[in-house]
Amino acid sequence: MDMEKQAGAVIEVNNLTKVFKDFWRRPKVRAVDGLNLDIKKGEIFGLLGPNGSGKSTTIKILLGLLHATSGSVTVLGRSPRDVATKARIGYLPEESYLYNYLTPYETLNFYGSLFGLDGRVRRERIDQLLEMTGLKHAAGRSVGEFSKGMARRVGLAQALINDPELVILDEPTSGLDPVGCRQVKDLMITLAKRGKTIILSSHLLADVEDVCDRIAILYNGSIRAQGGVNQLLEKQESVRLTMPSLPPEVMRKVLELIRKEVGKEPQVDHPSMNLEQFFLEVVEKANRMASQQSGAAPTEMMADYLKK
Amino acid sequence: MMLRVKQFLAMAGLTALEAIRQPICLLLTAGCVVSIAAVPLTIMHLFGEDGKQVRDSAFAIHFVFGLFMAGHAAGTLLSGEIKKGTASAVLSKPVSRELFFLSKFAGIAAVILVFSVGATIATLLSERVAEKFYYTQALNGYVMDSQTGMMLFFSPFLACICAGIINYRFKRPFTSSAFWMIIIFLLIVLFVSGFFERNGQWRPYSLRLDSRIFAVSILVSLALVVLSAVAITISTRFDIMPTMILCSVIFMFGLMTDYILGRHVAESYVCGFFYTVLPNWQNFWVADALSGGGHVPWIYVLHAGLYAVVYTVGVLCLGMLSFRHTEVK
Repeated sequence: MDMEKQAGAVIEVNNLTKVFKDFWRRPKVRAVDGLNLDIKKGEIFGLLGPNGSGKSTTIKILLGLLHATSGSVTVLGRSPRDVATKARIGYLPEESYLYNYLTPYETLNFYGSLFGLDGRVRRERIDQLLEMTGLKHAAGRSVGEFSKGMARRVGLAQALINDPELVILDEPTSGLDPVGCRQVKDLMITLAKRGKTIILSSHLLADVEDVCDRIAILYNGSIRAQGGVNQLLEKQESVRLTMPSLPPEVMRKVLELIRKEVGKEPQVDHPSMNLEQFFLEVVEKANRMASQQSGAAPTEMMADYLKK
Repeated sequence: MMLRVKQFLAMAGLTALEAIRQPICLLLTAGCVVSIAAVPLTIMHLFGEDGKQVRDSAFAIHFVFGLFMAGHAAGTLLSGEIKKGTASAVLSKPVSRELFFLSKFAGIAAVILVFSVGATIATLLSERVAEKFYYTQALNGYVMDSQTGMMLFFSPFLACICAGIINYRFKRPFTSSAFWMIIIFLLIVLFVSGFFERNGQWRPYSLRLDSRIFAVSILVSLALVVLSAVAITISTRFDIMPTMILCSVIFMFGLMTDYILGRHVAESYVCGFFYTVLPNWQNFWVADALSGGGHVPWIYVLHAGLYAVVYTVGVLCLGMLSFRHTEVK
């Protein structure tokens, strides 16, 4: 995988600047300022930053929806405005941006037809995606009636209908329940294992930490920190040992030894399950007993065509 | 090429579907039919010519309701999509901006044409309903075709009841079902009205309608298609309210262009320029030609159609140019 990641840059951004102008063409906001990015094939790359830091603007420039004021951008070796390149990209916008009067099935059918997928393939993929996102039972309801989380699932499904090489996810877990969040994270990991490149923009730092290989932190339109997640988060000056519970006598000896050799007081605690893992266990138990529900159904299934 | 055609059809179809699922589209269609159906009830004087006021009023209602429908549909379906973000979702797929823009126009134009079919049927029936003077051995006086009038007036309400049942039974969206049911009910009324006389007596089937109405209705429909092109071009840069206002202003100026500018074309290049650039709705408003038993020659309809096509293509080219540089935030 690492060899593959080194293979080629999927996205190259050099000195990108975007200035929004007012009605009189005067500069209003400098949303992106001299940004440099180099994202490799098979990577999960996280874009982090507070509101207004330029994450969504950068993504929209990568998709050719906004025009760069200066600098150069190549996506999959071509200009982001090249229409053919977009056939290889899947994009989940920050808000789900769906046609409220359409049902999930109609929505996916529409997006599938934009990629020229033939009827049989389209129907198969729609079925698998509806199953994967837990929306099969709501496939006939208007998207406008959906909760934010359910709309997010439709948005995610439309982003994957073309089995894209590059997946750009803007706040993919926003509005999703913890089961859905875990599922989206698992999906990202699976896609990356298949050599897909993923760009994840999120405010949820735990999500980014869980799945991303590398991250860039933006502030006021420019990158303030960039690198591998472990590399950026690792505290080189301390070490953590995890071992089975020790008898009190042995523990006392170990601590004494450390105090003597290091000269500092070591910190001892029990490793704990994180809240997400605990929640997922509770829901899994409840799900085994549940019979009927109106929202998105929890599912562990992943669309077959996304696993191949 | 085939992919482009498929994309175009998918986006145009979706635009049309979105348009007819908007409650305003149903309200305008139903409002137009009910208003046209109500016209004969308000006509108290004939001025020596049967049906003229009904025809003129019905064409005017067709035109004005169509103006609102075109302006609103263009505003919500293009500028609304840019604002709402659905345009960015679609344009992140392998779809060119030009194709997206043209498909939006095609979808709106298709809905406008279906709306015009409904308005034309309502005009034909309404003209038939209008009171007429009869002088026969059996009858001497004014007759109003009240059966057809009642059926026409209530057809939108019946359509809504049917759509409600369809919604309850099959979970189909109410607004789009009601829109289609109005057209279906109008066709049924058109067919059924052929079985009786104006005075209510049954007779062998014969459709006695004023077929001269078709030519004028086609011209009004063409004007609405041109107006849709203008509206969608404006909506590449403006929001729904400015789009509606600008469409109304262009509509007003287009009606007066002969009077305001036409007289000065020979003397002033500026007037000549604006006279050419502004759409001239008088080319499409020929209801007066039906007065005194007259008719609109089909060759005139063809020439006006050619003008509509050339004008629409020109306006759409401007729109594509504008949309190509629009930033989809």
